[in-house]
Amino acid sequence: MSALSFEQAPPISAPLRFFLTAPWFGVAAGLALAWRWEAVTASRWTPEAVGVVHLMTAGFLLQVMVGALLQVMPVAVGANVAKPLWLAAVVHPCLTLGGALLSAGFLGVGPWAMQAAAVLLGVGVLGFVVVTGLALLRSAAIGPTLLVLRLAVGGLLVAAALGVALTSIFGFGAALPLVELLDLHVAWASLGWALLLVMGVGYLVVPMFQLTPAYPVRVARALPALVTAALAAWTVGTVWSVDAARWLGVGLGVAGVAGFAVTTLRLQSLRRRKVTDSTLLAWRVSMGCLLAAAVAQGALRWLPEGGAARSRLETFTGLALFAGAFPAAINGMLPRIVGFIGWLHLQRVTLTPPTMQQLMPEARGKWQLRTFLAALALLAATPLWAPIVVPGGLLFALSCALLGWHVSLGARAYARHRREATSAPLTPTDVPH
Amino acid sequence: MSEVEIDARDLMPPEPMLKVKAALATLNRGARVRLLLYREPFPLYEVLRREGFAWTTTLEPDGTYVITMRHA
Repeated sequence: MSALSFEQAPPISAPLRFFLTAPWFGVAAGLALAWRWEAVTASRWTPEAVGVVHLMTAGFLLQVMVGALLQVMPVAVGANVAKPLWLAAVVHPCLTLGGALLSAGFLGVGPWAMQAAAVLLGVGVLGFVVVTGLALLRSAAIGPTLLVLRLAVGGLLVAAALGVALTSIFGFGAALPLVELLDLHVAWASLGWALLLVMGVGYLVVPMFQLTPAYPVRVARALPALVTAALAAWTVGTVWSVDAARWLGVGLGVAGVAGFAVTTLRLQSLRRRKVTDSTLLAWRVSMGCLLAAAVAQGALRWLPEGGAARSRLETFTGLALFAGAFPAAINGMLPRIVGFIGWLHLQRVTLTPPTMQQLMPEARGKWQLRTFLAALALLAATPLWAPIVVPGGLLFALSCALLGWHVSLGARAYARHRREATSAPLTPTDVPH
Repeated sequence: MSEVEIDARDLMPPEPMLKVKAALATLNRGARVRLLLYREPFPLYEVLRREGFAWTTTLEPDGTYVITMRHA
């Protein structure tokens, strides 16, 4: 029999290029947070705050999630993307340049940067959604993961379309309803895309790498249904100004988010592998942050508009999701994914491939995770004392730099083993960027 | 009809695949391999297709996939 599951994997450079550039957007976000801290913490509406948020979301998170989806789809649901290298060659520069220009536009470079970002991010996301969407539609998987991934890709399309519309307000002066579009964009990007993707990936990797029981099928189908119903209710309530529908949306969303977090934590408590490694710890932190965000979002609806308490809680919710839950899941999974795909490709060319551990040593990951957790602890205190965001931002930048370095060393180790195992020179597609 | 059961729910990759490959290598005609796993093994399907095996997959309520394999 031939090499293990290699036919299912896209060429390594397709996902790896996203993993190599993404952490540096996190570095930029942390530095910008420390540099412009007064404007960033003054209100979530300041251009500086929006710019920093998009370095995290449209830069760091989007890139890792796109790369992870490319890698996970064939293994999780048997969906093979057509021409993955072509797709990556188009999508990666669009997202990289678009993410950088969008944030630069908000941080003061000028409207031209936002205009260019709208085009680049629109093209990049649309291309990605069309190609991956077609692959997911053709999949014959029978489990709940397929539905979640299809919903996530649909959620990304809606979030990106809303984002392009918002950018056209700032970049082209379009007359569109800003507050409503913003509310919808945040909901679809955080729940419709990011949360559903973490859920879909979690259904595969939590039992596989942490040796927990599987997510029970009924729960695994109910959670994305709850989130989708929440988004539908929130959208109806926002578009037609129906407050009851917005309340319903929040209630269903909180139930979906908390349900996923509690289920995952419970499964982890039943795991058969009793070692607590950085992957497990990072996922626990991620689920804790999701729970905190769910509770805070639920409480927000009871506080009066414009009050200081509401503003602090809004900041906390944003931090819990975009500096906590999603980056923590990435901190837990990215080293695993890079180690796994490195091993997967090397076992094609050598009978004695290095282990995942040798490619991505746990000790390196531990230090990186500790730095991230220290940054998160400081950032979580920002709503109470804003200046703490300066050391928090700097530490966050350091943790992302360590993640970038960790991934980069893993990629170099892969390239070295690949070179040693083959006498033939590397092709351009084998060499990580 | 003889049947070999592999409960791979406690195993990290690549062990499940290696165990199934070993079982299939010595599988007699008419006999079956029954694999229990917490994910649908698409990489394994490629191997089965290429090596001339037939299979069925069902999903249990607890999230266990049951893959039954035999010579085509």
